[in-house]
Amino acid sequence: MKRIYLFLTVIIFLSVASSLIKAQDSIATPQAQDESKLKISGELLSDERLLLKDKNNWVWNENRLTLKFDKKITDNSKFYSEVWLRNIGLPNLTTSSDLYNKGIIDPNNLEIREAYIQLYGFLTKNLDLTIGRQRIAWGKADKLNPTDNLNPLDLEDILDFGRHRGSDAVNLNYYLNNNFSFQGIFIPFFQPANMPVGIFANALNPTMELPQGMVLKGYSDVLLMPKYNLGESAIVGGKFKGIIKGVDFSLSYVWGRDGLPFDTRNTFIPVDTLGGITINSQLSFARTHIIGADMATSIAGVGFWAEAALFIPEKDIIMTNDLSALYPLSPVPVTMDTKLLDKTKPYIKYVVGGDYNFSDGSYINFQCLHGFIHERGNDNLNDYFFLRYEKKFFNEKLKITPVGGGFIVTDWKKLKDNYAIVYMPEVSYKATDNTEIILSTVVFDGKGDNLFANLRDYNMFMFKIKYSF
Amino acid sequence: MKDSKIRITFLTALIAAGSIFSVYAQDASTILKQMDNVMFSSKDMSAKNKIILIDKSGKQEIREATVQQKGTDKRMFRFTSPASQAGISVLSLPDDIMYLYLPAFGKERRISTSAKNQNFAGTDFSYDDMESKPYSDKYTSKLLNIETNVFVLELTPKVQSDYSKIIVNINKTNYYPELMEYFDKGNTKIKEAHYTFKKVGNYWNAQEIEMSDLKKNHKTKMQMSDVKYDAGLTDDDFSVRKLKQ
Repeated sequence: MKRIYLFLTVIIFLSVASSLIKAQDSIATPQAQDESKLKISGELLSDERLLLKDKNNWVWNENRLTLKFDKKITDNSKFYSEVWLRNIGLPNLTTSSDLYNKGIIDPNNLEIREAYIQLYGFLTKNLDLTIGRQRIAWGKADKLNPTDNLNPLDLEDILDFGRHRGSDAVNLNYYLNNNFSFQGIFIPFFQPANMPVGIFANALNPTMELPQGMVLKGYSDVLLMPKYNLGESAIVGGKFKGIIKGVDFSLSYVWGRDGLPFDTRNTFIPVDTLGGITINSQLSFARTHIIGADMATSIAGVGFWAEAALFIPEKDIIMTNDLSALYPLSPVPVTMDTKLLDKTKPYIKYVVGGDYNFSDGSYINFQCLHGFIHERGNDNLNDYFFLRYEKKFFNEKLKITPVGGGFIVTDWKKLKDNYAIVYMPEVSYKATDNTEIILSTVVFDGKGDNLFANLRDYNMFMFKIKYSF
Repeated sequence: MKDSKIRITFLTALIAAGSIFSVYAQDASTILKQMDNVMFSSKDMSAKNKIILIDKSGKQEIREATVQQKGTDKRMFRFTSPASQAGISVLSLPDDIMYLYLPAFGKERRISTSAKNQNFAGTDFSYDDMESKPYSDKYTSKLLNIETNVFVLELTPKVQSDYSKIIVNINKTNYYPELMEYFDKGNTKIKEAHYTFKKVGNYWNAQEIEMSDLKKNHKTKMQMSDVKYDAGLTDDDFSVRKLKQ
């Protein structure tokens, strides 16, 4: 298997190299030389948020310089990269020694979001190859895409729905004609999702219910990463897409791995005689088959889309609670198993939505989603209804979104105690061609244990300024 | 007897008026087809587009794009500046199929045909104005006047439109439009477009179109340069594959 992998890598490398060398000769004219110069563009974003209550604590500080490098290598190939240079977070100083650490005083980071080479007409004129770190965005819905499962989720900012990181991948697109194409993806190693930070840090963590009389005194966990080999770590995907009678559609399959870990083993250890315990957990990432389908069309001026993904766990996901340490005299291990996911009971996440542009410059967008990004298993999928109405003024310089947000239902039978409301009005103003100022607030409310109801203490005011160059 | 004379005179007058009207109507449609031939006769076209937005105080904003067109129903429009819009591309295909590519999303998005209700990218042109469908397919025509240099035609939409009518002045010698005046459903003039044509090879090219929105007191100048006709663009150049490149 290893040899085949090596052989394929060498073949692809040689083919890419020879394509580039051959095509390099074709750049001759001054215009072609000008077009092949490295183009640098980007964006400066400042994103600041503060709480609406109490002393208006600052909760988010991000200053991001996005640099995009785009170089046409030949008529049939290009290089592209996107890099983030960021100052993110607020200084978190606790001891005097932190004063010696510039990384704590002024947290910065660098992220290579994408860096790939794209070859059009690779080996045959109908085949395109993209190789390197890349974002492979699937799905026809708006930002919330159940079929978008190749790249790891980037959950750092929970309000930036649908953000993913790039993956190191080989991406082949074969075009049967201008209406139908096949896509094949190979991602050699798995990368998990990165979790929310700052005030959102615990937003996706499930609440833990302990048996009566037990008090949690400590918690630790071990993450069981899949081994970095083809069988355990690789992700493979395929998609067939096309258009028939004005309807765009695609059918897809991913042999992937869930990027959010499951708690598969909890070992309870008593630490005192008053019921105090510590828990050591093992977390692992489940192999999953994902079958997807989506469509988009326009009927009587209204845009419609629908997207669904069927998630089939490769194995049952079982959480074992090991209570043996609490029963030292028991001759056999004392464990309790809970089936988190049953491989015979696949679950479906879906989105349906639509939008419409009015002649007065206003726009409305509605989406109904079953199963948010972090929800797994038929019993845990909630319903989300999102609505956005915006209107542009002064030749699109000013955009006001008086209605923006969602309504979430976690239990239809006990609706009044299991819902959430998110309200996000926004005003954006283009101060210059390349400068945009965005002011918005987000208000959370609701009852019950759900993502947005749990954020009800974090209503905030947000200010963003973006400059593109 | 007297009655029958009156009847004959009336009938003759009616037939004569009908014939004159029919000649005018026929002439109007022939003139409009001639204009379509001048505007849409090339097999394909590619050009650079400079869009100048001018507000009522005279302040200008400039956008640049490349445009490629094949026949009358395939068009690729790519913004190259300003930086905030560079890379945004719109592909228009037959049967009102339109795709938008936003580099930030990394994928194409099918857009609803209601997008045509709004102006194109903040300009004073509607999507309808930007379409390259022959006017004779979309409008019935009536000859209103023949002036020294121009034919004046009234165009009434055959299908649903934002306009109740368009009055167009067509150059008598070369059959290109010089002026179009757009009227809303209340018959009020809301926009006007002044055309400047220049011959490029065998074709007349709209080198500049100045569209004025009379309500907003706002103007858009659309200037074409580096125009190439019949360069052999294929259907492959108007595909989602190309849109994303």
